[in-house]
Amino acid sequence: MAARRVLKAVLVDLSGTLHIEDSAVPGSQEALKRLRSAPVAIRFVTNTTKESKRDLLERLKTLEFDIAEDEIFTSLTAARNLLEQKQVRPLLLVDNNALQDFRGIPTNDPNAVVVGLAPEHFNYQMMNKAFRLILDGAPLIAIHKARYYKRKDGLALGPGPFVTGLEYATDTKATVVGKPETTFFLEALSGTGCKPEETVMIGDDCRDDVGGAQNAGMLGILVKTGKYRAADEDKINPAPYLICESFPQAVDHILQHLL
Amino acid sequence: MFQLQAAGRAVRAMAEWAKQLAGIKGVVLDISGVLYDGGGEGGGVPIPGSIEAVEKIKVSGLKLRFCTNETQATRGKFVAKLQRLGFNILVNEVTAPAPAACRILKERNLRPHLLIHDDLVPEFDQLDKANPNCVVIGDAADNFSYKNLNEAFRFLIGLENPILISLGRGRYYKETDGLKLDVGVYMKALEYACDVQAEVVGKPAKMFFQSALAEMEVEPQQAIMIGDDIVNDVGGAQQCGMRALQVRTGKYRPCDEQHPEVKADGYVNNLAEAVDIIVKQLHK
Repeated sequence: MAARRVLKAVLVDLSGTLHIEDSAVPGSQEALKRLRSAPVAIRFVTNTTKESKRDLLERLKTLEFDIAEDEIFTSLTAARNLLEQKQVRPLLLVDNNALQDFRGIPTNDPNAVVVGLAPEHFNYQMMNKAFRLILDGAPLIAIHKARYYKRKDGLALGPGPFVTGLEYATDTKATVVGKPETTFFLEALSGTGCKPEETVMIGDDCRDDVGGAQNAGMLGILVKTGKYRAADEDKINPAPYLICESFPQAVDHILQHLL
Repeated sequence: MFQLQAAGRAVRAMAEWAKQLAGIKGVVLDISGVLYDGGGEGGGVPIPGSIEAVEKIKVSGLKLRFCTNETQATRGKFVAKLQRLGFNILVNEVTAPAPAACRILKERNLRPHLLIHDDLVPEFDQLDKANPNCVVIGDAADNFSYKNLNEAFRFLIGLENPILISLGRGRYYKETDGLKLDVGVYMKALEYACDVQAEVVGKPAKMFFQSALAEMEVEPQQAIMIGDDIVNDVGGAQQCGMRALQVRTGKYRPCDEQHPEVKADGYVNNLAEAVDIIVKQLHK
């Protein structure tokens, strides 16, 4: 029997796990309150590229979740941290809404390229600009590499194809900072003083949330809300540590079995 | 003493290179980056010495063919442009991707959704484009907008049998105002988005070089290719059994001479230098 892990931190996915669009997953607000009664650090993690932390916070507050801004870790934050670490000045191909998460980072005379979901920037001229910078040695940072996403008017290209194109053009590899990258999960823990082995991730995306977290050394709980589809759990190896109906049940399990 | 040795080595290196030219009967020339650099007001600027070099080949007795991945205009239009710039070149001397693609589309009953440069559209006039069952992508330049790419993506992902035909797979080319992304970049983007593999019509596809050689009536071993793209011109030609020279004009970058997979048969400063050596060797 495996040694009992000490649980010190819980990562919670947002869209599909705590809420679906503008509705909370039933019972989640109370479940979060219950989780807060336990001696664990909590972080809310998401791969958004269009919404700033402020936007996310607004929505969650409206849904009556009790969350602080510094508990939210997004792929945009991960990108920002990387830029600060490398001390580079980015050409930001990101949604205008997302720019506020990069406030304070110098963008004059860029020597790095950051690509998020930004259809308004994926025109030939801007792509050429990014291409020439990368060819000259600028690192290419991808918020994530989603192939496409669902819009009201149908499917639409995500940032992945454009990142792939730039990688081919320059014969380089992008650093991807969002889920399911291990660095994303490790970064999410910075400031908590906790290790991956002491952490549980709760999410609805089997590959990006649970698979990614488990690859980083965490336990993963898959919830059957949001984008979950039957048999998703068969797509990763090892299988999720646990599968629950929704967030409240995941919290129950943690409080009863992992503390 | 060291200088003498270095000079001696250089002379011997040149000699080695020229020895490789025995049996050459035909020359195949890339256009962009070898004859001229495109872009700007007049449509482009000839590379110094290239106009004379083409003349030299034509009077030498060697056969000549132009093998280009140019897809920003119809063959007729860009040949007319090159003639205006002073080049002795005719439409029937040029192997280009769009005519080759049309033949393939007709053969396979394919109706294309086109993501190409506006000036290339007339090449596809003869084809039925209603109810497309494939996507054809060329060097569309400013037509590579998010909206157009999304449209092509939706067509492709909606097909039961997704067929993506790419007119070339180059990474970038040189225009007078700098390097620009080529069709290969957007081919890769759509391949990734739809999880499909494109079929390439144009360099470096073997069939493309072979059709150029067939037009010249010359065997691969008797032909030499001169290009600025180490992978698509030089590598592609060598894979067909041709010899190939890399010029240091156009999209050339010094790292091309240390390419991990492709070793050109020779590296020359420009087309003029290549032709001088080739023609001198002929007269030996």
